Amino acid sequence: MRRVVLLLAMVAASAACGPLIERAPFAVRPDSIRPADLLGPYDGIVIDADLDRPIAGATVAAAWAFENGIGFHAPSGSREVVVQTGADGRYTIPRLDDLPEGASARIRRFTLVVYHRGHVGWRSDRVFPGQAARRDFSQRGNRVRLDRWQPAYLHATHLVFLGGGAKVRLAAAWELQAAALELDGEHLPLATRAKSETTTAQVGLTMLDITKLLNDDEIRGVTGYVGKFEDGKLSDLPTTEFYDSRHFKALGKPESFDVGLRVWRLGAAASEVQYNKLMTTLPGAHATDEVGDGSFRAQSGEIGGLVFLVRERGVVVSMTCGSGQCSEPAQLAKLAKLVESRLPELPPEQPRLAPTPEAVPPSDADNPAVKPTPSPEVSP
Amino acid sequence: MMCALTRARARTRVHSSLQILLAAAPLLVAMPARAYDPATTHAGLTEQAVLASELHRVLGHRLSRPLGLFEPIVLNRADLDPTLARVLGGRLDALDPSGGYRPGADGAAPALAWVVAGAVIAETPAERAKNLFFDPSRGSGLTQAGGAFQVGHDLRMLFAEGGGLRAAATGTTFNLTGRPSPEWLLAPENDVGLPAFYDQLEQATIAERPGPRATALARALLALGGTLAVLEDAGDPAHVRNDFRGAYLGDGGSSLFDRGSPFERYVAETFGQAGVPPAAAPVNRPTVMAYITAADRQGLADRTQRRFFSDGTLPEPVVVDRLTTGVEAMRDARESLPYALPTLPHLDLTGMGDIHYAYASGEPGAPPAHRRRLLAYLRVPGRVRFFLDRAVYQDSARALLPEIGAYAAGLVDHLFRADIHLEIKAGSVAVSVTGARGIVRKGEVRLYFEDASGRRSGFASVPASTTPSTLTIPAGARRIAAALRAEDDAGELVAVAEQPVL
Repeated sequence: MRRVVLLLAMVAASAACGPLIERAPFAVRPDSIRPADLLGPYDGIVIDADLDRPIAGATVAAAWAFENGIGFHAPSGSREVVVQTGADGRYTIPRLDDLPEGASARIRRFTLVVYHRGHVGWRSDRVFPGQAARRDFSQRGNRVRLDRWQPAYLHATHLVFLGGGAKVRLAAAWELQAAALELDGEHLPLATRAKSETTTAQVGLTMLDITKLLNDDEIRGVTGYVGKFEDGKLSDLPTTEFYDSRHFKALGKPESFDVGLRVWRLGAAASEVQYNKLMTTLPGAHATDEVGDGSFRAQSGEIGGLVFLVRERGVVVSMTCGSGQCSEPAQLAKLAKLVESRLPELPPEQPRLAPTPEAVPPSDADNPAVKPTPSPEVSP
Repeated sequence: MMCALTRARARTRVHSSLQILLAAAPLLVAMPARAYDPATTHAGLTEQAVLASELHRVLGHRLSRPLGLFEPIVLNRADLDPTLARVLGGRLDALDPSGGYRPGADGAAPALAWVVAGAVIAETPAERAKNLFFDPSRGSGLTQAGGAFQVGHDLRMLFAEGGGLRAAATGTTFNLTGRPSPEWLLAPENDVGLPAFYDQLEQATIAERPGPRATALARALLALGGTLAVLEDAGDPAHVRNDFRGAYLGDGGSSLFDRGSPFERYVAETFGQAGVPPAAAPVNRPTVMAYITAADRQGLADRTQRRFFSDGTLPEPVVVDRLTTGVEAMRDARESLPYALPTLPHLDLTGMGDIHYAYASGEPGAPPAHRRRLLAYLRVPGRVRFFLDRAVYQDSARALLPEIGAYAAGLVDHLFRADIHLEIKAGSVAVSVTGARGIVRKGEVRLYFEDASGRRSGFASVPASTTPSTLTIPAGARRIAAALRAEDDAGELVAVAEQPVL
């Protein structure tokens, strides 16, 4: 009896203790096999894998995941620390000192997510592309080698891989539209493509450049405007390898004198999707079929828009012109046709790899989709 | 000293004075039964299933969410009942941000994240996992009845069932029983089950104001994730073989407070979230329940139960001597099985001390690399012992995870099977319904128009038919929305759509 009481007392005493701490699945240092202390602190450097130089301004998000329950386990909380790398590319994550309480509380995992635009995201547990487990993460002196983004990679796959909290999502928000378009225009298993990505040769990242499609004088020639323009880019979406914009801002004039140009070069399927998407989202959209393989106009206040699709080139163009600049609807159509005639001057599109036949998963007797009829073993 | 003991990093320095506690502690604590690990395995399975499904297109084309799965959707807790806001908010706030499915402080998360979050919170708080078991051959949920378990397990269960200490420590009332998972899926009190999915999807279209519509859509996606979690656990052998004690009360945890299913732990540690294999092509089944169990025995629970062993439903050790043949040992082993399937093949009794594997039948011609190890066995002096090791877990996971994803993806497509077409032109809208199975009953398509302020009001109802019904659009309408809640040959049906007025 005394032994039972003693045991109960010891268990009860343990209930007042700090949390269980999982064994870290990574080493304390790159040159050590000693397991890390999951609580931290953590530090390291983020470098460009090609240039071997530090990357400043990378988002580094560290998260500890907690669980609790003696009978059952479930997520019970987390701590997240988000920092930016300094000019020397270094980051420091302080030791976790705000521990969850209770004998059943567990510190289940620690995950580091690093993101920098133009590079492939980095996670301490997995590698992109592919799904391999990461083996080179360490608590101290960690080296985060960020590979350059390659056109053959898919933003949809990348965002799903990346994960991360709100700040990581914010930093990666520019990938959302591309990711959505990929899922719209393609219908291949993502992992199949991810596998093909691993065979891709390293190629540089080239942004789409539409400066040759339209200039100030050409606008003046169409509209008769005599004032000056300040040329720049529309600021709502960043330039990528498949999107670019131009903003011809009429100096000293209201917005109704401005001209905007957006071009998406997405390939045949995705461009169709983007065109339809714009048609369903832009205000007052109505088909006109005056430019390209299909076009529509939209109107928002004093700003008129004309969107057209060129299937052969996989391009969607959106032109906007205020009523001060384009006093006649035909002027906007003329500008659009001018842009259409210049599309062949765009630099050639960088090829996206198609999945290789060997990337298709092998058949599996357990897989009902591959083998829809019951196998002998499943027919009792 | 106790604190130090409970830390995994200190467990290699256990002092002899505490060995009594070490030995007894497993008897005093109830063990974890978290099904597939929610934060990693369920999250990864759900992610892959949704990516393999048509949900992205449904969101983009039917619900005017241009970014589809990546569309940020805000769940505003102020739109919820205060109690629900507190309970749901607490569960969401507990999620691990590194998984990508925890909503931000502003309540925003991508659509995909909401579905994944739903799958995770389906088992939060953890006691909800008790309702995620289903034995398809008996039609029952988790129950202690049946099966002879080892004495050690029974002793543990005596303590686990003691209730007072355990319940006081955990705050749960788990008594090793639970509702069958198909029943739980339909339970009104399951806030991430099917009723919640149907209700919230409808509200996401017909609610008067944009904010509550967005909140309802987030909740519908959460409930979709919760629904998928139930199905995904039908692909866990322990969950369909009524195996809590054997699978969950065994060894394998990293500390005395951390016992659990070694298979589920293997899957979680091997694949994590991002490493879960892609789903196979979506499976098409006639009804929601048929994804779990059906008369044709092709529900996921049916298939899993008859094709895989779990740790606690293995054959009992067989007594052998030097004259025992493999056939005799096989016969004895089969007699101790709690389930008739999978069948145990011929045993190789040669090689004392060598680990042998029994392979799944039906795959005799498969190349060695694709043969699936069913269980491991080892001949030791006087007997043959059966067990599952990491090699078996590896083969099981390789077979199960893509299949679970395929069923889950199929279920997503099944739930969104009906499509309301809205063709808007020249001040009128033509409404038709496709994709329903058989005749649509007990419901009409209700039409709503949205004004410039985003407010929606009902203006008409039309029969759900593939033949278009044409209606005049009310003046000032900026958008037309439609909702159908009815039944077809596949069961309950909710379809929604919306289109801008050009």
